[in-house]
Amino acid sequence: MSPSELAARIAGAVGSDHFSSDNGTAKVHIAADRWVDAHRTLSAEMPYFSWLSAIDWATEVVVGDAPESEDIEPRYEVLSCLGSVETGESVVLSTAVSKDDPSLDSLAEVYGGANWHEREAAEMFGIDFVGHPNLTGIYLPDSFEGHPLQKSFALLSREVKPWPGTVDVEPMPDEEGPSTENPEDAG
Amino acid sequence: MTTADRQTLSMHHSEVQVSVELQTPDMTLNLGPQHPSTHGVLRLVARVDGEVIKELEPVVGYMHRGYEKLAEVRTYPQITALVNRIDWVSGFANEIPFMVATERLMDIEVPERAQYIRLILTEMARISNHLVFLSSLPLELGAATPLMHALRERERVLDLIEGVTGGRFHPNFNRIGGVKPAAAAGATQKKVVQDLPQGFVEQTKSAMEYVREVCADMVNLVLGNEIFMQRTKGVGVIPADKALAFGVSGPNLRASGVPFDLRKTDDYLPYSNFDFDVVTGSNGDCFDRYAVRLEEVVQASRIVDQAVSEIPAGDLQAKVPRIIKVPKGEIYVRAENPKGEMGYYIVSEGGRGPYRLKIRTASFSNLSVLSWLLKGQLVPDLIAILGSLDFVLGDVDR
Repeated sequence: MSPSELAARIAGAVGSDHFSSDNGTAKVHIAADRWVDAHRTLSAEMPYFSWLSAIDWATEVVVGDAPESEDIEPRYEVLSCLGSVETGESVVLSTAVSKDDPSLDSLAEVYGGANWHEREAAEMFGIDFVGHPNLTGIYLPDSFEGHPLQKSFALLSREVKPWPGTVDVEPMPDEEGPSTENPEDAG
Repeated sequence: MTTADRQTLSMHHSEVQVSVELQTPDMTLNLGPQHPSTHGVLRLVARVDGEVIKELEPVVGYMHRGYEKLAEVRTYPQITALVNRIDWVSGFANEIPFMVATERLMDIEVPERAQYIRLILTEMARISNHLVFLSSLPLELGAATPLMHALRERERVLDLIEGVTGGRFHPNFNRIGGVKPAAAAGATQKKVVQDLPQGFVEQTKSAMEYVREVCADMVNLVLGNEIFMQRTKGVGVIPADKALAFGVSGPNLRASGVPFDLRKTDDYLPYSNFDFDVVTGSNGDCFDRYAVRLEEVVQASRIVDQAVSEIPAGDLQAKVPRIIKVPKGEIYVRAENPKGEMGYYIVSEGGRGPYRLKIRTASFSNLSVLSWLLKGQLVPDLIAILGSLDFVLGDVDR
C-alpha cells in the first residue's frame, strides 16, 4: 500500500480528514481530545510503538532556522509513530497542543513504550501528559531549569560564541554549479 | 587512643541492642552508574526482598549530550559527525538513515556504487557490533574465553572499515549524495578520487570466512555450554505483544518470534538485491537473544559476500549543490541498525540546518522495558538480562 493510500485509510479509521503523505511519510492529524482514542483504535492494527516526540512551532526562534511562512500558529505539535510488523507500514500521528496550556492525555495506558517518550517530551518541551504514571524528568539533572527543546531556550554556549561552523555561508559565484564536496562543511 | 576515648567506646558497646529475630525488610539496591554490567553509565535503583527484585527504576541521562538541540544550530553535513557518535559500537550504521532522509528531501539519487559501499559497511558494522555482544554476555556470566575469540575476528572487520573510511569507530564517511570520494587525506586535485583500497574484495571475503568460523566456534563454546544454558534459558522472557507495545526492535524483537526486519520492509539501501534470512527466536529469553544475534552475524556475512562480488562500477557521489539547503518538508526514515530501529524525523524549513531533528534510537525503547521485565526476577538474573539486551548508553541518551 502506498503512503498516500495508507494515510487515507488510517485517517478514515480514526475519523480524521486531515492527512498527508509528502516524502513518503504517511501523517495523520488528530484533534487533541481524540488523541488517546485514536491510538486505542489503531493499537490492534499497529501494535508497534516506535516513538513519540514534539515540535515547537514558534514564529521567533533563538536557535535554528525560523519557519519560512510568517503566519504559522505558535503551538506544540506532538507526534507519535506507530507501525505494523506484518506489513512493515508505519504512520505518524500528529496533534496540536496550545502553548498557553500545554497538556495532552497520556498514551502510557495504551502503549507501554510511550511512558519514557512522554517523560522526555515533558522534560524537553514542558508538555503535561495527563494521566502519566510517573511524569518525572528522564535526562536532565534535577536542578535544571527550563525546557531545552523549546525554540525560546537559548543555547548558552552559542550565545557567547557562535558555532564556528557557521562562518562558511558565503555562496560561491557559481553556486548553482555542481560540486562533489564542500570541505568546510564536512564538520 | 586516649583513655577517655576508650571509655566512651565501651559505653557505646554496652548500649547496642541485639535483635534475635531475623528481619528482612525491603532493601534499596543501587547498581551503577559505574558498574561493569551496565555497559557505561546506567543506574538501576532496585527495591529488593532478599534476592528478588520487587521494583526497579532505571535512571538514565548521564550521557545526555543534547544532540537534538545541537542539530538545530548545525548544518546538515556537520550533523553527520554528530550522529555516528550516538551508538559508537556501530557508528557507520547511524549515519545511513540520516543521509537517506536528507537525500530524499533534496530529491537526490545516490549512485549505485555508493549505495553498495554503504550497504557493505553497514553490514560490517553489524558484524562488529554483534561480535562485541557475543563476547560480552558470556563474560558477564563468567566466561572469558569467548571474548578473546570474537574480538580477534572483530579486529579484522574493523581493519577493513578503517581501510575504507579512515576511522574505526567514527567513520564520518557518508556525504549527502554518496560517500566520501577520497579515503585518505591529502588528495589535492579535485578529480583524483580514491576508491576502495586495493585488495578490498579478497580481504573482505577472507575476513567473512573467519567470521563464520568463529560463529561456528561460538555455537559449541557458548550455546552448547551447560552453565550458559542454565543462566539464560527461560530467563528474562519478553512476550511478543509486550515487546511491540514497548517499541522493542531489532534482534531483541526477533528473539520474541516476530520476523520484523526493516531491511526486508523498507528500501533505504538495496537489500532486496541480496539473499538473506530474517532470524527469529521462539521463546524471547536471554538464550534466544544470544542465538538470534549469532545467526545474524552469519547472515550479515552472506550479504557482504554477495555485495562485494557484485559491486557495480560508477560514481561515488551524485551531483549536489555546494551549499546544501534542504527544501521545506518533513520526512521520517528508519533503518535496521544492529541494535534495532533507528530513525530520523527531519523537519526542514528550507534552511541549511533542520528546524527540528527527532532521533529515534533503538536502545532507548529497548531499555524502557526494563522496569516491567525485571519485576520479580532474581538479582543474578538481572546481570544476564541486562547483558542480553545489547544497549549502548550513548544510544539511550543521545
